[in-house]
Amino acid sequence: MIVDVHAHWGPWFFTMDVAEANLATMDRYGIGVSIVSATEAVIYDAAAGNRALDGWLATTERHYGYVTVNPRRLAEAERDLDEYLPTGRFVGVKIHTDYTGSPVTSPQMRETLALVASRGVPALVHTWGATVLDLAQACLDTPGLRAIAGHMGADGHRHAVEAARACDRLWLEPCYSHAPAGRIAQVVAGVDPGRLLFGTDSTLIDPASAFGAVAAAGLSPDVAEMVAWRNAVQLFGLDITA
Amino acid sequence: MTAFDARGLIGELTVTLDVDVLVGAYADRDGPPGTPSSVLAALGAHGIRAGAVASLRAALFDQRSGNDEVLALQGVVPVGALDLRDPIGSVREMERLAALGVKAVRLFPDEQGVEAGFPSVRHVAKRAAALGLVVLTGGDVRRFWQPFSGLGAQVVFLDTHFYHLGDFLVVAADEPGFHTSTRLLNSPDALESVPADRLLYGSRTPHYEPLVPLLRLATSGLKPEEITAVAGGNARRLLG
Repeated sequence: MIVDVHAHWGPWFFTMDVAEANLATMDRYGIGVSIVSATEAVIYDAAAGNRALDGWLATTERHYGYVTVNPRRLAEAERDLDEYLPTGRFVGVKIHTDYTGSPVTSPQMRETLALVASRGVPALVHTWGATVLDLAQACLDTPGLRAIAGHMGADGHRHAVEAARACDRLWLEPCYSHAPAGRIAQVVAGVDPGRLLFGTDSTLIDPASAFGAVAAAGLSPDVAEMVAWRNAVQLFGLDITA
Repeated sequence: MTAFDARGLIGELTVTLDVDVLVGAYADRDGPPGTPSSVLAALGAHGIRAGAVASLRAALFDQRSGNDEVLALQGVVPVGALDLRDPIGSVREMERLAALGVKAVRLFPDEQGVEAGFPSVRHVAKRAAALGLVVLTGGDVRRFWQPFSGLGAQVVFLDTHFYHLGDFLVVAADEPGFHTSTRLLNSPDALESVPADRLLYGSRTPHYEPLVPLLRLATSGLKPEEITAVAGGNARRLLG
């Protein structure tokens, strides 16, 4: 059983045709539950995407949602959090730093993270390179904030190890379209296993990428179980027992 | 067995020739060491029977001695590494390698800080095509297609990312010799979008995890005969 904490629903602008969630793909990799954000919300219009995702989540039993927040539209974000989090279908917040032009160090992002912390749900934040260190600092500066470093810095995974060591309210999620040798093993060796999650970036990236990279690390059964689902269940408060 | 058991998904798939294998190390990285014995062991551990192997020593430091190191390896398809910072020496090295029976050369533009529009790339591309050598090249396919266009060249783009798949497909439609590695085609339908005879399994062992492209290929929607072609048949056709 696997919980995928970094997935998407909706079409992409690249040469691909993967608009719908693919249950067969989830089954292939043993992914029982995916937590998704709407691509429309991430890339273009947060409010419209959240609304569409809310409608779709009502039709599926294997997906939870992220309320996507654009740090440049905080009033809209607050309204969406108030509307969608109480439904129980949305269990966290997604923030993409690049698409919204909002680095983790920007004032609007700091304000956004404080807003998320006030709602008591985790925030999945896009990180790349050394920005994962900025996210750790934001966590330290924002009382109660629990953040997931999406991609765990991608090619900056060594920074992710430092970041997770610096703040005990930062979790790491590994998806990345590249698979440098030993990346996952290095992070697992350096970080409390209670802070490691599994994510795929599906449907943008096939789960083969993250699954294969984690498989290559040869995790012990205990750590694999934590990464696969136990840590996610605890972090998001999911009603899943196996 | 854990939730992350890839072997069950890969099943009996074996790769008969991996088009993207390196020996040697990068000075700016912690590892792996890239010794020939460890690289060949890594291939074997993943059911990869043979690799088209190029030398990082040749790419980063000295073409001739690095390539000689690869030529001395047993059980591999040797690929000559060229240094685009030295186009004159690269052509000289290509001619030496071709005379020795080498079928392919490899370009390292990212590692050497060479851009697609540099004169050296077009110069080497022309000479490789004239010698009938297959070119394995790194670099962004959106730029590195251009120095090879109109030459009738046989080229394998090793770094085609699925973000750039559309660009590869449109140039490959006009260039029958253009091929791509599977390594970064990790979107759910990328492998299925490329003509199967233009697709070659590449892992970049030991610097990338060979398990990922292996897993993606094994679980793809390709027909069994197409998977066999991608897993080495196409590479054998090009490289012998």
